[in-house]
Amino acid sequence: MKAKNQRLILALLALAAVIGAGLLAVSGLKQEAAFFYAPGDVAENGLPLGKAVRLGGMVADKSIRHDPDGVTIHFVVEDGKAKVPVTFKGIAPDLFKEKSGVVAEGEFHPDGTFVANNLLAKHDERYMPPELAGKMHKTDTLKP
Amino acid sequence: MHAYANPARFLKIARPLTPICLVVGILLILIGSYAGLALTPPDYLQGDSVRILYIHVPAAWLGMGGWTGIAIASIVQLVWRHPLAGVAARAIAVPGALFTAICLVTGSIWGRPTWGTWWEWDGRMTSMLVLLFLYFGYIGLANASDDRTSVSRATAIFGIVGAVNIPIINRSVVWWNSLHQGPSITLRGSTISSEILWPLAPTVIGFSLFFGGIVLMRMRANLAQAKVEARMRRLAAA
Amino acid sequence: MNHWPFIIAAYALTGLGTLGVFVWSYLEMRRAEQAVSKLERSR
Repeated sequence: MKAKNQRLILALLALAAVIGAGLLAVSGLKQEAAFFYAPGDVAENGLPLGKAVRLGGMVADKSIRHDPDGVTIHFVVEDGKAKVPVTFKGIAPDLFKEKSGVVAEGEFHPDGTFVANNLLAKHDERYMPPELAGKMHKTDTLKP
Repeated sequence: MHAYANPARFLKIARPLTPICLVVGILLILIGSYAGLALTPPDYLQGDSVRILYIHVPAAWLGMGGWTGIAIASIVQLVWRHPLAGVAARAIAVPGALFTAICLVTGSIWGRPTWGTWWEWDGRMTSMLVLLFLYFGYIGLANASDDRTSVSRATAIFGIVGAVNIPIINRSVVWWNSLHQGPSITLRGSTISSEILWPLAPTVIGFSLFFGGIVLMRMRANLAQAKVEARMRRLAAA
Repeated sequence: MNHWPFIIAAYALTGLGTLGVFVWSYLEMRRAEQAVSKLERSR
């Protein structure tokens, strides 16, 4: 075999090994690397109690309620598998809307509600002008 | 493979190609940016901030494409000992790092009005930051050697090993729950409506040509400097 | 929230960064190639 071909095979083997090792490490990190819990994860694996976590999903339609104090809001986060009621006190980002994505930072209470101290808006991968959006029915749920 | 190995032959093509890449690239960037800032409608949800898309996406593509180029050049250097491979890899590093940084900065600026945060340690953002540090490491390693026309074998191997991060960046939003949204443009099509999407074509092509022009200029600079240094060494020896 | 300050900042920083690397690369290339042509003339 020519030396050049030998080097090529060595390089390709090394590349495959490195990428394989990297992907293996990454798949092992699956849970740790997740930025937030989805309601479905919580229903499946139990409440992560006693630690600060993030909860992400869609804000359920017609679920936002404002308390008379003007700063506390209640809403429901869903991912198509489960629903979690959330309480938040503070200023929500502009993009925080019903049927839109949200990531709430806070803590679960033993009764299953989530108390958030910060809200991040999460939009999906669709971009369109306002006129078009008005005509469309948004039926997709946020991918977990 | 070795048809362009001769630097003289490479320069014969690179000299006219450099201004073409730069002029056409800058024109396309300006056209695309104008269209993206003034002609396209705002997004139904994000409003005007969606206009950052037209520079954020090309920057992300060039940051990742740059490292892919370094990895390919490194393989070509190690396997075929092509004399220009090291020059090319070295020339890609600085613009690659620049566009990775632009991607991170524009993403951060975009995140504030839309997500409500400048920075979060989400899978996409973290892996992109790792790419920037890989570029810094590569630039440091490449500059450690005096030979401007190649990179050391260790540097080339680092270029190949670092490529493992590229598929991780690309898939991070699919594998993990992330704040960053999923991919909009896939093989199956685009979830960006055409009225918003179209200026992305001129900016992506324009920034890519501009990137190519910068790489050509940096290759030419290194080849010329190496020529001068070789002459100086011969004069000193004589 | 008004988005335009964010948009302008993003475009301005991109412009500054690309312009900086462009000027740096161009000056380096010109200096090196001028040195080569000086050598070739002196031969």
